[in-house]
Amino acid sequence: MRAVGIILAGGNSYRMKELSNKRAIAAMPIAGSFRSIDFALSSMTNSGIQKVAVLTQYNSRSLNEHLSSSKWWNFGRKQGGLYVFPPMVTSDNDFWYRGTADAIHQNLDFLRQCHEPYVVIASGDGVYKLDYAKVLEYHIAKKADITVVCKDVPWSEDLTRFGVLQMNDDNRIIQFDEKPMAASSHTISCGIYVVRRRQLIELIEKSIEEGRHDFVKDVLIRYKDVRRIYGYKMQEYWSNVASVESYYQTNMDFLRKDVRDYFFREYPDVHSKVDDNPPAKYNPGGRVKNSLVANGSIINGYVENSIIFKKVFVGENCVIKNSIVLNDVYLGDNVYLENCIVESRDTIRANSRYVGEDGIKIVIESNERYVL
Amino acid sequence: MIKKEMIAMLLAGGQGSRLGVLTSRVAKPAVAFGGKYRIIDFPLSNCINSGIDTVGVLTQYQPLRLNTHIGIGIPWDLDKNVGGVSVLPPYEKVGKSEWYTGTANAIYQNLAYMESFHPDYVLILSGDHIYKMDYQVMLDFHKAHGADVSIAVMPVPREEASRFGIVVADENGRIVEFQEKPEQPKSNLASMGIYIFTWEALKEALVTLSEQSNCDFGKHVIPYCHEKGETLVAYEYNGYWKDVGTLGSYWEANMELIDIIPEFNLYEEFWKIYTKNDILPPQYVSEDSVIERSLVGDGSEIYGEIYNSIIGCGVVIEKGAVVRDSIIMQNTVVHEGAVIDKSIVAENAEIGARAQLGVGEAVPNRVKPSVYAFGLAVIGENAVIPADVKIGKNTAVTGVTLPEDYPDGMLAGGEILDKAGDVQ
Repeated sequence: MRAVGIILAGGNSYRMKELSNKRAIAAMPIAGSFRSIDFALSSMTNSGIQKVAVLTQYNSRSLNEHLSSSKWWNFGRKQGGLYVFPPMVTSDNDFWYRGTADAIHQNLDFLRQCHEPYVVIASGDGVYKLDYAKVLEYHIAKKADITVVCKDVPWSEDLTRFGVLQMNDDNRIIQFDEKPMAASSHTISCGIYVVRRRQLIELIEKSIEEGRHDFVKDVLIRYKDVRRIYGYKMQEYWSNVASVESYYQTNMDFLRKDVRDYFFREYPDVHSKVDDNPPAKYNPGGRVKNSLVANGSIINGYVENSIIFKKVFVGENCVIKNSIVLNDVYLGDNVYLENCIVESRDTIRANSRYVGEDGIKIVIESNERYVL
Repeated sequence: MIKKEMIAMLLAGGQGSRLGVLTSRVAKPAVAFGGKYRIIDFPLSNCINSGIDTVGVLTQYQPLRLNTHIGIGIPWDLDKNVGGVSVLPPYEKVGKSEWYTGTANAIYQNLAYMESFHPDYVLILSGDHIYKMDYQVMLDFHKAHGADVSIAVMPVPREEASRFGIVVADENGRIVEFQEKPEQPKSNLASMGIYIFTWEALKEALVTLSEQSNCDFGKHVIPYCHEKGETLVAYEYNGYWKDVGTLGSYWEANMELIDIIPEFNLYEEFWKIYTKNDILPPQYVSEDSVIERSLVGDGSEIYGEIYNSIIGCGVVIEKGAVVRDSIIMQNTVVHEGAVIDKSIVAENAEIGARAQLGVGEAVPNRVKPSVYAFGLAVIGENAVIPADVKIGKNTAVTGVTLPEDYPDGMLAGGEILDKAGDVQ
């Protein structure tokens, strides 16, 4: 493969509310047994990219734990590897990452030492499968300086969360607004870019010299009229999980057979770290309808239209509806949940009742768990 | 210098013919168990949990799936720079080549492997038991008694003792007598097929008995050591231990996992059982499905009803299908409206729509009454059962079967339908 990968996984968003107290968005659990970054990592390994750098900053412990071994994604070979780069203090730098461009700049040595002519930059908060090799082919065919992967979304989508762009007939980007209050189009940037490595080094060096630190604002938008910046329109499933609502909706999408078949039964596979959990167990009184249940879970209660992550214990007479229960949660007997997201490793006391009245309720009890 | 205090030798070469068509294409230790495991996962996990990081796995019969499962031992952390897991098949030698002719002969043929680790003790295990055991505690016992050979034993009911190799020990645990499947058992301690040998004692016995044909631990090596006057002790074990050598006990051991708090609990953090994990999505359970008292593996899609069953990974149970008291192994598809009662369906099989398994009276199997018993219908791997047929109890089916293979749409109880040529 002629490209190296960079995954921008340092971000946090106030839109994640309490869910980001524990982890970076890239580490958000998805669909029962995956994490958000798995989709970018899997797409990279499935596209033949062998060398990937993950740039982390915000709350990276959970992410580091997930990336503890590169073997899950088939990196870590003699050629290439998976590198995790947090910000570091050096003789000529004592800043945190001040933006996406600065994050790349602080790791420019990594890029300089690569021999691959191209770079694929992806964010860690997208849920999708994409063959980056195809995007690269397109990039070369278009003689582009930068190619931006983009997608048409319904106008009803909250477009103020995204970079919104317009293209001409040749797919060259002529308009690019970052998180506009009033969007001029419903084509959004997926946060995935292909660029020639030397070109990227040059653009980033120049921006940092000028004190500009954001890749989208200071490189993409600033250079769009002087460099050939093209859009590559993606038709397949793509979703971003950087807000509580979209996180909830993306998980619920996996209750649809077409989405599950696309991700899990069609080539190529999505890879993730696996745990040594036993199969899910259904005890008398357990009843599950239209839900996903991950391994290691024990079900004694009623579950409907929900996603049960790994190692969840559902007590007797529980009723769980339209909810997401993250990994390693213990739900005592008679718990009632509706429209909720239960934070991971929590212990919910028996007889608790939580209902998301308008919108999704994030449930955090932080009780001690007494293990027998 | 390379040095390991104790290494394990795991006997995994046997066919396990009493498991019938389940082992026609795969060695017994590689047979699926408990929804996601294979039988060999239990001794391998016991080894690493006991701190034994050097394991030789002796393979012979149908080793393909065993080899791919073990790989370089990553799931059990047995991929070590020194030691780790080594798969040891029989090999050709100068002037002769021979298969492993018996359990002890297999170990004898790998003396060089064992010697390279300069072990003080060698643990002999077999790959067909379900249990959790700390071999380190057994080693402490072995050392404390200054033993040459320790044999793990467990108490069995007196009336069943005549099915086992019985060990008679004095009050200090020292073995005074052996009885192989005795009419009149003098004790209720059955050998579990787990031995610790002091290295010199093992080597001496194997070399001395090297000309013995079909050299076997139970029949030759242990009696030889006993007669020679070496110190043999019985290490009594009282936890869960299940021999899954017959279809009946295999089915039973699986079913015991679904008790509310099973005696053999896979959900405990302590003493985890490891296996090769495929990266699989969670299971999907549909709107109109029912799952009661069952284990269901990752990546399965359940649209039908499941009661008292063990469902492997990647299984599809279509709408209206009912599975009761059965074991369905990975990637099998059960089509709409099929009804499966007390059956074992091996990997990658396909059960046609509205087919019925396990119907009627349990008449003894005509060909192999001792194997296909217990009222089970057994479907071999990659088998295809056409739609709308009925299959009785104590039956076995292999290969791609067609409607014309079923006279009057029925395979009567006690019959075998062998399209894959798997039943000798």
